[in-house]
Amino acid sequence: MKRLVSGNEAIFQGAIRAGAGYFAGYPISPTSEILQQAALYSEENSEFRFLQAEDEIAAAIATISASLAGAKAFTATSGPGFTLMQEALGWGHVVEAPCVFVNSMRVGPSTGMPTQPAQSDLLQIKAGSAGDYYPIAFYPNSVEECFRLTATSFNAAEESLSPVILLADAFLSHLYEMVDLESLKVEIVPRAKEPLGSGQRLFTGTAHDKMGNVKTSDPVIYREWLGELKDRHGRVADKYPLFEYLPCKNSETLLIAFGITSRIISSLKDRFSIFRPIRIYPVLEKELKEVTQSYRHIIVVEGSDGQYASWVECAICRKVMKVPCLGGGFKLKWIQSQIEECLKGARS
Amino acid sequence: MDRSYKELLKLRRFPHTWCPGCGIGAVLKNVAMVIKELGWNDKNTVAVSGIGCSGRMSGYMNLDAVHTPHGRPLTAAEAIKTVRPDLNVVVLSGDGDLGSIGGNHLLHTSRRNPDITVFCNDNEIYGLTGGQAGPTTPKGTKTLTSPRGEPHLPLRLGRILTQQPPYFYARTTVYHLNHFKTCIREALLWKGFSFVDIISDCIELNGRRLGFKTAYQMFKWFDERFHIVEGERDHLREDELGIAKAVTEEVPQPVEKVEVKPEIPMENLKPFTLEELQQFDGKGGKPIYIAFKGKVYDLSASPLFQGEKRMRCHIAGKDLTKDIDMAPHGEDLIIKFPLVGRMNLNNK
Repeated sequence: MKRLVSGNEAIFQGAIRAGAGYFAGYPISPTSEILQQAALYSEENSEFRFLQAEDEIAAAIATISASLAGAKAFTATSGPGFTLMQEALGWGHVVEAPCVFVNSMRVGPSTGMPTQPAQSDLLQIKAGSAGDYYPIAFYPNSVEECFRLTATSFNAAEESLSPVILLADAFLSHLYEMVDLESLKVEIVPRAKEPLGSGQRLFTGTAHDKMGNVKTSDPVIYREWLGELKDRHGRVADKYPLFEYLPCKNSETLLIAFGITSRIISSLKDRFSIFRPIRIYPVLEKELKEVTQSYRHIIVVEGSDGQYASWVECAICRKVMKVPCLGGGFKLKWIQSQIEECLKGARS
Repeated sequence: MDRSYKELLKLRRFPHTWCPGCGIGAVLKNVAMVIKELGWNDKNTVAVSGIGCSGRMSGYMNLDAVHTPHGRPLTAAEAIKTVRPDLNVVVLSGDGDLGSIGGNHLLHTSRRNPDITVFCNDNEIYGLTGGQAGPTTPKGTKTLTSPRGEPHLPLRLGRILTQQPPYFYARTTVYHLNHFKTCIREALLWKGFSFVDIISDCIELNGRRLGFKTAYQMFKWFDERFHIVEGERDHLREDELGIAKAVTEEVPQPVEKVEVKPEIPMENLKPFTLEELQQFDGKGGKPIYIAFKGKVYDLSASPLFQGEKRMRCHIAGKDLTKDIDMAPHGEDLIIKFPLVGRMNLNNK
């Protein structure tokens, strides 16, 4: 039955559908509702475990540990909490713990504007933790997609044996839409990794060989390990080349937007072509190259000062124009005027 | 001697990484011995450790082991125990990891009281990084980061962990071997959060700077500093070795309502005029009467009306109805005294 569902609820229900058995979190706007729902759900379903942790560091570590112990686990936070979770995110990649980190973005840095949406944590998903790692991140733009992509994130996590990041923003978290969650069909990848208590393995964040022996001064072993991680993540990412492309016949201009900005500029689809990446990271290099080559102007409309635009430029080896919607200001009129200004500048 | 505990150690990885004379070897060996004696094995036991010299212990055990980022073993252990209550979860870590960077987790994991056992190799120094002052370094100790002597008081883990029941806190040393093993055994069998604070030596990076020539000299120093106390204790003084434990206090019952005395009909009470009342001011062995809301009470037994020391505001033989507003106590303090009469105001 169709009913009003918020983005946060859809994310939680998506996780439950994917078989999640553990949630750890710490209250933060705008994802506190996910924490609250998890608390409520755990009271009614004893097989679902819940921890309100003392901070996001503990929440993230608990999520990964629960995953090692055998549960499909997830956590939800926002920018400042995600900053604290970076330590665990790096650790999760090394110990190969499949789990999902939900990051609903708000204006930063630091406490920033807690109730205002932003899209400025993109660099944080890729480069927040020390060293090289290859996270996979998805970014929905509707309540139904929140549900579907949460399940997809869990699947990608099980396949890549790593934490997968589901992005959202404060708008999307609190967006209510009529959805029938129960009738949505999603595919679920079951847990394959052996849980704790079934061997003599060492799950360590220190560099190690395949036997689990700590090797802290052997570049060959390290390169082998990192190469394998990169290959595995590349393979899984290739399974999910998710994007949405709305071509407009007479347009010479391509707008690139995702998440909430793609919703806001959707009314411009009769004047401009619109490309919406859903898999935010790894960047959809091949798809972007194909789509962008037939356009004279490319404008990235995003809620940060050019974070995704810089990735697009790297991917297509071409300069792009930017419309940064900063400080939670996502007015269509303003975006439109900025696009016109960009085009005026490009023509002159 | 029973050497079957060696099945629990990854002997293929020996020689281990620790310095000659280090106390961690003794911790690892004795914990392995007791685990073996209890019949625990890799199917039902998981070792979790943090970062530091002591953090390497889990990697030398033939168990599924989790080697967390710095300071996070307690959170990880708690999450594992939550998801898999059938597993015995043992934390092997050090004082810097648990008390300093993991201090917040120590407070909150102990508060949530999961059934895990923590062995803290308390060597009062950061050994792995070369000998910097740690949270438990005694005041005045010279280290690499306190060349003039540590200026601050150490963290008293015993005080923190025994602040409210239920708790299990044991302090022992690697020198007092029988006591050490008793503590390990009792802690492993304790239902709930148990913490063994093992005073250990770091001869290479702490002891030598303090003037000790050998690890044995440090052990003798432990023997001088500490003595074993027998029997059940609530708390341990800083020079005592022993076990402080307490189970949950009985849940305090909601405060019972003050028993309401049966109402005596006003007419049956002896009438007093204000002049009559003034006679009973306590002088010359007479009882102390006061009037309150038209009733006369005998306050002779009140400690506040005794002799010369009586409080200035407690005046005998007066109507104190209006004074109750200024009093720091409520009516209940007065009406619990015997009711001896009523005020006869008509007669005045």
